[in-house]
Amino acid sequence: MNELRKAIEAEWPRLEVVIGWGLGFDPYHTRPLFVRRSEDLSGLIWNPFCVQNLTGYLVKTPVVKAEDKAKKVGICVRGCDSRSLVALIQEKLVVRDQLLVFGIPCSGTVDWRRIAVQTPLSGVKSARFEGDLLLVEDNGGVRKFSPDQYLARRCLRCVHPNPIIHDVLVGEPVPPRAAPGNRYRDVESFEQQNLPDRLAFWQEELDRCIRCYACRNACPLCICQDRCIAETREPRWLTQRMGVPEKFLFHFIHALHLAGRCTECGECERVCPMEIPVTLMKEKLGRIVGDLMGYEAGIDPEATPPLLTFNPAETGI
Amino acid sequence: MGTMVFISPERLAAALDRLAERFDLWVPSASSRGGGAVRFRRYASGTTPVLDRLTALSPKEAVQPQVESLLRFRYTKDAEDPGAIQLSLEDRIEVKPTLVFGARPCDARAFLLSDRVFLEGPYVDVYYRARRESTFLAGLVCREGDSACFCSAVGGGPADTAGSDLRIIPVGDGLVIEALQERGEPLLEGLGEPASDSIQEAAHQVVEEVSGRCMGELDTSGSIDAFKSRFQDGDYWREVAERCLSCGVCTFVCPTCYCFTITDESRNLQGERLRSWDSCMFYQYSLEASGHNPRPTRLDRYRNRVGHKFSYFPEKYDGQFSCTGCGRCVRSCPVSIDIRRAVAGLKENLCECP
Amino acid sequence: MSVLNPYCPDLATVREVIQETANIRTLRLTLDDPEKMRQFSFQPGQVGQLSVFGVGESTFVINSPPTCKDYLQFSVMRVGEVTQRLHQLTVGDQLGVRAPLGNSFPVESMEGKHILFIAGGIGMAPLRTLLLTLLGKRERYGDITLIYGARSPMDLCYRYDFEDWKARGTEMVLTVDQEFPGWKERVGFVPTVLSEESPSPHNRIAVVCGPPIMIKFVLFGLKELEFEDRQILTTLEKRMKCGIGICGRCNIGSKYVCVDGPVFDFDQIRQMVPDL
Repeated sequence: MNELRKAIEAEWPRLEVVIGWGLGFDPYHTRPLFVRRSEDLSGLIWNPFCVQNLTGYLVKTPVVKAEDKAKKVGICVRGCDSRSLVALIQEKLVVRDQLLVFGIPCSGTVDWRRIAVQTPLSGVKSARFEGDLLLVEDNGGVRKFSPDQYLARRCLRCVHPNPIIHDVLVGEPVPPRAAPGNRYRDVESFEQQNLPDRLAFWQEELDRCIRCYACRNACPLCICQDRCIAETREPRWLTQRMGVPEKFLFHFIHALHLAGRCTECGECERVCPMEIPVTLMKEKLGRIVGDLMGYEAGIDPEATPPLLTFNPAETGI
Repeated sequence: MGTMVFISPERLAAALDRLAERFDLWVPSASSRGGGAVRFRRYASGTTPVLDRLTALSPKEAVQPQVESLLRFRYTKDAEDPGAIQLSLEDRIEVKPTLVFGARPCDARAFLLSDRVFLEGPYVDVYYRARRESTFLAGLVCREGDSACFCSAVGGGPADTAGSDLRIIPVGDGLVIEALQERGEPLLEGLGEPASDSIQEAAHQVVEEVSGRCMGELDTSGSIDAFKSRFQDGDYWREVAERCLSCGVCTFVCPTCYCFTITDESRNLQGERLRSWDSCMFYQYSLEASGHNPRPTRLDRYRNRVGHKFSYFPEKYDGQFSCTGCGRCVRSCPVSIDIRRAVAGLKENLCECP
Repeated sequence: MSVLNPYCPDLATVREVIQETANIRTLRLTLDDPEKMRQFSFQPGQVGQLSVFGVGESTFVINSPPTCKDYLQFSVMRVGEVTQRLHQLTVGDQLGVRAPLGNSFPVESMEGKHILFIAGGIGMAPLRTLLLTLLGKRERYGDITLIYGARSPMDLCYRYDFEDWKARGTEMVLTVDQEFPGWKERVGFVPTVLSEESPSPHNRIAVVCGPPIMIKFVLFGLKELEFEDRQILTTLEKRMKCGIGICGRCNIGSKYVCVDGPVFDFDQIRQMVPDL
């Protein structure tokens, strides 16, 4: 989309580096792109294949920053990403003034793995949009997919498609996919199941976990980085064993460290090579925090996340 | 070509059941809800093998379990003299005959590469050897390659048979199983009906058609030295791996990554020494007790991965790359890091590198 | 270690513990199987993996000379979890040993040459076994000089050996970083003392071991004195697990410190990728 590129070009004199998306290993897979020279701006793209939340690069070492203090770091954010940014600002992990935020209203991104489950694809030749429909041509011909079939789960439950904060808005605001009352529908339908079924579900899902820690490393708010409790040597808190309880322990620690901080951006689930719906745990926590504390993470840069403060007059718990 | 049998779709379950009587049988399968990554799992009667989707993990787990016990140790107190403690060790290895059903050519070849590390010495890994010797591979003629695949560029191909004892050739709705190695012949017994001439002919055609496919391009020539000359080019590695998240995906999904850690876990007076998969992408991997880390940043670590596969390994093992082009590290990387770019760019001028 | 399984340690028992410095202890141990102990042989420079079961393994050079058949000696500096536990061992305690591992000093090709040892702190350990080996065949070598430094006199290891080394024909140059009451030897960093001594590179081999910063400046000093890279030997350290060239972590380029090392000359090191 040229509009984003134009917007960034217009601001280029103020910028030292821009974090955006570029082409990945094929036209339908994108990658984070760091642009430091104006001639490389042409590599920037924006389309429904742009899936990465880029805000983690502002906090994880080596941090992407402007060496020239008079200049700023440009960052592209969709609605979901902007909430991560708000959370990072709240926790003083990034300085708002050092950023130039390009906000992009987003109608959702493509999850190729959902498509693969519905139709095994071989040799994708092209993929394009016709209105809302995704048309994929492979060796078997052209197949059509509706948003319900191709959108990532996080996008189907999205209530904040438009950036919460931005300096430059690129594009027109779009309507949310889900009604606010509907955002926790996956958690709710999960909770319809009886306890043994829920246990069986997580046993089967977490059995696949290989403890690669992609979920943790892709999370913009997992900021312990190389000091994560999952890998400490002394004391060694977590065993190397690969039973489901051990894996569950890690995921539960991960989720609990994010309670009241997680903006449910869904990166943890997106990056999981084993396709485990790990965001579901964080959604459950998000709903509890909302119910108990009336708090929604990543909305108000001035607010203090409820578990980062102590309020003796707390009534919710 | 060796002996061939044909398994019709109706008889597949019975054939797998039969194999499972004799083997710890690993087949690619999905989760019961249908979603989730396809991976190799121990076969249980009723499991439907998923042969038309690429698997998220290679079957290396059959020989290199993600975690295994190397030793069991026990401290025994003397009832008469509580101060005297006796230490005992046990290093028994138990293996079962294993068959991996549906390994793609890239995965089957990977076993041969790991063999060099674990079996060639100077020390032989007895745990690996015990498992490897009792493991059979039924390789699948691969028709499912995608844009991340590049087996043809690193010495393999979608119909390559290296490493396989049997070959699975999809013909129509059914499967032709062909014995490639002598030790594979007895496995065919009772699996299906002898393949008729027309089915054999059809199988030949499938193999021929797939053999003709070229999966991926990559000029790997001179990579051993090109890597070394790039080693200290910080701008290059920033270009290639600045976006790396330092997670372990690429190494864990890789069929040829074999690095491991050894840790002790004990409770009271007994415990085990465990070996488990490790990843050179992790900060802790090379962190020394003194606090010094020779590879402190994710750029250093990604560089080591490229170096290991395309410079160090071939330097040590007659030019063979520690990569079979399965494409998993490309496909599964959360930020689309492409090892093909990292290798191809070694010889390019930096300014031309995207 | 076990003939059949290179991962399986031999059981051993601590026979003597020597407190070398505030954070360095020397363990003298014997293999529990008397036959194995009798047959145990190694070359100077080779290492062993010591196991405290339940905590883990760590690598240490065998610093007794190969001619010593009564015990195997290891010196342990307390830095991490395994070394912490090794420091808690007392006489009679059991532990695991996988040894010998790795390569060794080229003792034979050092014959007929002058040998210059340069050590700092715990870096004396790998040099001790070599020094004692050479002193055992003293007549086959030229001058033997040892420049050994530490922060303070209390940080020098093997002080109980010094008289013996001297008596058997070692020119001893001891130094500490700062003046210390009662200290009569040299004061100053090892590289400084080296340039004061300024040994000739002619027909001389330098064997260097110590903290990285010391090695770096000693190397500058030796180059200044016109030593060639292959005249300078050192031992490298890396985090290790398997110790047998398989697990992958101690690589420098295609070399594994555990099997291709720990002894390297600087000509070899110069040819490696700088991944230290």
